[in-house]
Amino acid sequence: MASHPVTAIIAKDLRLFLRDRFYAFITVLGLGFYVLVFWLLPATADPSIPIGLHLPGGEALLAEALEDEADQGIEVVVFTSSQELEAAVLAGDEVVAGLDFPPEFLAATASGTPTSARVLLTGEAPTVLSDALSAVVAELALAIAGQQPPVTFPEVEELVLGVDRADQVLSWREQLRPLLLLIVLLVEMFALASLVATEISQRTITAILATPARVRDVLAAKTLLGTALAFSQAVVLAAVTATLTRQVVLLLVVLLLGAVLVTGFGLVAGSLGQDFIAIVFWSMVLFVPLVVPAFAMLFPGTPALWIRVLPTYGLAETLVRVTGYGEGWTQVWPELALLSAWCVAASLLGAVVLGRRVVRV
Amino acid sequence: MAWGGCGVQTEVMNPAGDLALRASDLRYAYGDRVAVDGVSFELAPGEVLGLLGPNGAGKSTTIKMLIGLLPPQAGSIEVLGMAMTEHRSAIQARLGVVFEEKNLYPTLSGRENLAFFARLFARRDVDLDALLERVGLATRGRDRVSGYSKGMRQRLTVARALLNRPDVLVLDEPTDGLDPVSARSIRGLIREEAERGVAVLLTTHDMYEADGLSDRVAFIDEGRILALDTPEQLKLRHGQRTVRVRRRVDGQVEESVVTLDDDAGDRLRELVAAEGLLTIHTEEATLEDVFVAFAGRRLE
Repeated sequence: MASHPVTAIIAKDLRLFLRDRFYAFITVLGLGFYVLVFWLLPATADPSIPIGLHLPGGEALLAEALEDEADQGIEVVVFTSSQELEAAVLAGDEVVAGLDFPPEFLAATASGTPTSARVLLTGEAPTVLSDALSAVVAELALAIAGQQPPVTFPEVEELVLGVDRADQVLSWREQLRPLLLLIVLLVEMFALASLVATEISQRTITAILATPARVRDVLAAKTLLGTALAFSQAVVLAAVTATLTRQVVLLLVVLLLGAVLVTGFGLVAGSLGQDFIAIVFWSMVLFVPLVVPAFAMLFPGTPALWIRVLPTYGLAETLVRVTGYGEGWTQVWPELALLSAWCVAASLLGAVVLGRRVVRV
Repeated sequence: MAWGGCGVQTEVMNPAGDLALRASDLRYAYGDRVAVDGVSFELAPGEVLGLLGPNGAGKSTTIKMLIGLLPPQAGSIEVLGMAMTEHRSAIQARLGVVFEEKNLYPTLSGRENLAFFARLFARRDVDLDALLERVGLATRGRDRVSGYSKGMRQRLTVARALLNRPDVLVLDEPTDGLDPVSARSIRGLIREEAERGVAVLLTTHDMYEADGLSDRVAFIDEGRILALDTPEQLKLRHGQRTVRVRRRVDGQVEESVVTLDDDAGDRLRELVAAEGLLTIHTEEATLEDVFVAFAGRRLE
């Protein structure tokens, strides 16, 4: 049976890829490293903020306050001396800030005698925490004095715009999962770029095109192999990191689209680079902006507009929402559509750039 | 029919009759620089046509158009009766090409290189071992090409060009930079293929190779064909034949060169009759001389 040029080129490129010690090394080493990092990271997240408190003689009052604050995401840790509290805040392991009251605070506050309290913070603490703790001191003083502020507090309604994830804090492991998957996909961009650039610089492409094989066969072969290499490695990483435990089909589709996306950019990088240094340069030029959305996912809140227009934003956002929050097709379809559109654009761009490069050889 | 191994000949299929290749008024320019300017020639089965010209004369651009890598901006190409514009794949399936650069995959073995291109030609019946033996690489076929010498790589590219049992061979500087043994080996293969009936287009800037291998020679310079004929006719018509006579005169060797024109007889008789005759050499014009006569400059 006659062999199709596409399968012949794929088989040849796969053999070349497996014989390239550099890419074989970084592929195996990279996968091992990502898996190790993933499993070393904490699997659980503690969303509460630990605050240290030293209030001599006020232990009963504190016990009552602790129950209320626990609901607000604040964990109160009681210290028996100012020195212990200061040391704990400075160390930063047990508490992130502290409230230190003098021994006469309760009596002075109850009798209306002026007194003071200390808010203990490290240099890295945000000012908003200082303001909040100062407010706590004031409220505590009013409660001890049995007084109410001379105003009627308005009723406050809390509205969370967008998806409410206040009680869905992700562990470091969960946060890093999409980043690792995206990096695995993007590393394959280097390998494909290298295969393409070598074909051009060694002019083996002219020997191929002097046979009945056409430019479209070369494009199809490179695209299929690049996608398969990136997808298979991403699936291996996803499997080893227990990512494929829910929404399996959706995740596979997302990873496949991601593989198509990086393949398109790999074709571009390979067409522009003529030697190893040039390939690394152009791959890095593409790698840096493409990895940004995954890093943005590590921080809470909606990313800036410039991040949302990057090609990999849909990929990173979909991965976070599916793997981290268990969302499904109905929730992530807009991001999936965005990712698909970028896939089409990247594939077309790769095909055009490589096609033009090939005919100029 | 599969390759039958060393020395086994196969017949060339030529449904188009007597013509293997026809290039008509080919033109190609890279921006403002005209590389090929109205090149026309024909090539018959079994014929070796040498395309002779200096670097930058337009040989490689002409070759690229003939093998379907570059569409001519004007003119037409017909191979085995098929127009290149309409039957590019069918034509390429019957072309064998040796490129000037040794464009092989260095991390694949010689055999793997051939196997890959055999798949592109959809030729799974090729006896690769026989082909490797034919180009003298039987014992090195499973070694990676990165360990091959320049001559071995070139012989492998020749083997690649023969994979599909081509009807037309296009060879771009096939012996450029090779040692005499490798060059002789490749010239032998070219002759074998021509004897089998394969039409061979050979580009070279080596006038001796062109003279020894070609049935006809085309001089190309600045994108135009300056002359096209058999080497003998070109040399006879456009080169000067001379006789070089050496004599010893007063203890010194004196050399006289007589151009074979109408007055040559008397002058030669005079020289031969004189005392001290040492040697008489007749000298034919070289293709280089003919090229200089046409182009006004030497081949580089």
